[in-house]
Amino acid sequence: MLRVEHLRKVYESATGTVEAIGDVSFTMAEGELVCVVGPSGCGKTTLLKCIAGLLRPTSGLIEMDGQPVTGPTPSMALVFQEYGRSLFPWLTVRGNVELPLRHKKLPRSQRARMVDDALVAVGLADAAKSHPWQLSGGMQQRVAIARAIAYEPEVLIMDEPFAAVDAQTRADLEDLVRDLHRTRGVSILFVTHDIDESVYLGERVLVLSTSPTSVRESVAVDLPADRDQIATRALPRFTELRTHVYGQIQRAKQHAGVPSAVP
Amino acid sequence: MSAPPRVRPAARLRRVVANVLFAVGLPALVLLAWEVLAKAPEDAVGVEKFYPGPFTVGAAFVDNWTGRAFAEDVLPSVYRLAIGIAASIVIGIAVGTVIGLARWLRESTEPVLEFFRAVPPPALIPIVMLLLGINDEMKIAVIVSGAVWPILLNTIEGVRGTDAVMTETADAFRITWWQRLWFLVLPAASPRIMTGVRQGLSVALILMVISEMFASSSGLGYRIVYFQRNYLIAESWSGIVLLGLMGVMLAVLFGFVERRVLRWYHGMREVERG
Amino acid sequence: MTSPSDPRWRSLRKVVLGIAGLLAFLVVWQLVPTLGLVDREYLPYVTDVGARLAREVVDLAFWRRLGLTLQAWAIGLAFASAAAVVLGTAIGLVPFLRRATHTTVEFLRPIPSVAIVPVAVIIQGINIEAALIIIVYASFWQMFVQVLYGVADIDVVARDTARGFGLTRWERLAMVVFPTALPYIMTGLRLAASVALILAITAEMVIGNTGLGTLIMQSRSTPGDAAGLYAFVVVAGALGVIINLVFRFIERRALHWHQSVRGEEVL
Repeated sequence: MLRVEHLRKVYESATGTVEAIGDVSFTMAEGELVCVVGPSGCGKTTLLKCIAGLLRPTSGLIEMDGQPVTGPTPSMALVFQEYGRSLFPWLTVRGNVELPLRHKKLPRSQRARMVDDALVAVGLADAAKSHPWQLSGGMQQRVAIARAIAYEPEVLIMDEPFAAVDAQTRADLEDLVRDLHRTRGVSILFVTHDIDESVYLGERVLVLSTSPTSVRESVAVDLPADRDQIATRALPRFTELRTHVYGQIQRAKQHAGVPSAVP
Repeated sequence: MSAPPRVRPAARLRRVVANVLFAVGLPALVLLAWEVLAKAPEDAVGVEKFYPGPFTVGAAFVDNWTGRAFAEDVLPSVYRLAIGIAASIVIGIAVGTVIGLARWLRESTEPVLEFFRAVPPPALIPIVMLLLGINDEMKIAVIVSGAVWPILLNTIEGVRGTDAVMTETADAFRITWWQRLWFLVLPAASPRIMTGVRQGLSVALILMVISEMFASSSGLGYRIVYFQRNYLIAESWSGIVLLGLMGVMLAVLFGFVERRVLRWYHGMREVERG
Repeated sequence: MTSPSDPRWRSLRKVVLGIAGLLAFLVVWQLVPTLGLVDREYLPYVTDVGARLAREVVDLAFWRRLGLTLQAWAIGLAFASAAAVVLGTAIGLVPFLRRATHTTVEFLRPIPSVAIVPVAVIIQGINIEAALIIIVYASFWQMFVQVLYGVADIDVVARDTARGFGLTRWERLAMVVFPTALPYIMTGLRLAASVALILAITAEMVIGNTGLGTLIMQSRSTPGDAAGLYAFVVVAGALGVIINLVFRFIERRALHWHQSVRGEEVL
């Protein structure tokens, strides 16, 4: 479904050229939940923005359902890390979720139903009339997620969405993501710096190297599909996987990454 | 979280009384002292002539600004003020949005706009009179020629400073250009625009008065010049009172509108602070 | 070729575009009467206005009048600022006074200075004193409001510490109140300076004391002297720009000093 081949992104900055992404290649099948981890500063956000069509890559190919990605498409929806700045404070929760649907030329009743549906799915049915700044951080991020799934994309792209949220709320939100993945069958590309989170959530974990960024390894997460914060994290296999990913990242930080496995 | 403490009725009454006293205390004292010290116009000598007591001024106020004069002078002025303000807001926001959205436009118009903003608004009046002649349109144009600048320039500032993450969100969800303007750019700029409108209101009031001081046969400005030329001191003071009232009413009206339009903004700031 | 995001290229581009915009404006101005869109009597050629300006700039009488305007501006500004700083500090520091004067301030503040003109003229006649009354009245409020903000912004901890150390009231004023209020005072000065200029010229136009404003009114009533009218309005605008730039510079300098001093104290 989603294909990235030899993606390269180079920036001009005041201090010289920065190679944010060196050579990233991977594919993603329909209905997968893929997590992306890497050392800080390895261009995870840049990678997401290129895939979502917000940035033009310097070279390489990004293809969605066989079509090259040249700009934002209706098949992808983005959830940003800074929920506070991504939700519009002058709109209500309902208004925020509804906004991207307005240009889809749907009858109003259907639009309203989709919005209600999404709000119920993230557990915010009661908050529809509130404004985002009246809600807690975790709830605001739920609004952003509701907005993304109401859009009915094929891929949900999430950029470290839970980094700015406390641990307790993060656990709830992680379970919400898995829930949505299973009930709605939407593919999810999830970027995080939290290794435990990536193993807990993902069916596959892509480990990135440091600059020039590439995919060091694609780790298959063979944990059971039914996951629980306490039980799953206590499994020995969980610890094995997270140690492995952690080790890869440590090695990546020590020297330039050499791709060891290709998906 | 504990329940708020119950305020005893006596304490609450004390607070209300205190608030009222603070509100009217000083003005009442001043007016009282003034009335006591002032002499009736017939008995006033020299400097005393210039400061008629509040009752005298009040009588002049009623004589001059109520009844027929209200319809002949006050209403037309207020009407022109309203149209001038409305036109300034529409032009200021429309042009400001266009300029604010295009960086090359912003940078190329900046010197000229800053110059026009720096010209003392009353100095433009003779030019507007020259170009438009002496009529109602001229008076409205005069108001616009001064009030539009703070609105225009503040709109430009507000529009260009749209949050980058919000813009990116609009990009990612492919929100149409028109919807972006209505749901993102303008609401995000509205606090800044409101600041400009507030400044524009004071300029508009001043220009309304001055535009009627030159070559006009009706209106507040005309009446004020008339009083001055005929040494009508009590009437002149009443003019000050009237314009003060108008200024206060404009401020109050603006306050209402601002609180409604920027309800989300005030709510957000309160949450941030608390 | 340097990249477009290079800051040097960016500021150069800004200057170039600004000049281009200004030139375009002047060209359009010149074209309008040339093409007959507006009669030359009402919108003179840019070149005519420029020539008139050049003539005035070498005329001593022009500078004398300009000097009178600036004199009224300066005196009015000085009075207004001094009064506003004193009253603003006194009222701002005493909560009782602040509450008691609140409604009075909120009623007096929106009164446009022009409303006071007839009273001022009847009492003082047609001279600079009448003009000063309305200049001071308008500029005072600009500064006063800023001083109130400044005094309200005082760090409570700093104030209590000073009091705890037994500093006299004057010492507290100098070491706690003044530094906190300084940036606000500078902002107020800039705003008051701009308002004072507007009122100085307004007074000359409406009251008739000699100055740039009277030059403007004279040109207006002289038939065929449209170039003169435009020229004097340009001068008024130039004055406004210069005063704005100068006071913005002063304000930035004072704030810069202020911040670096505070920075040291934090260390």
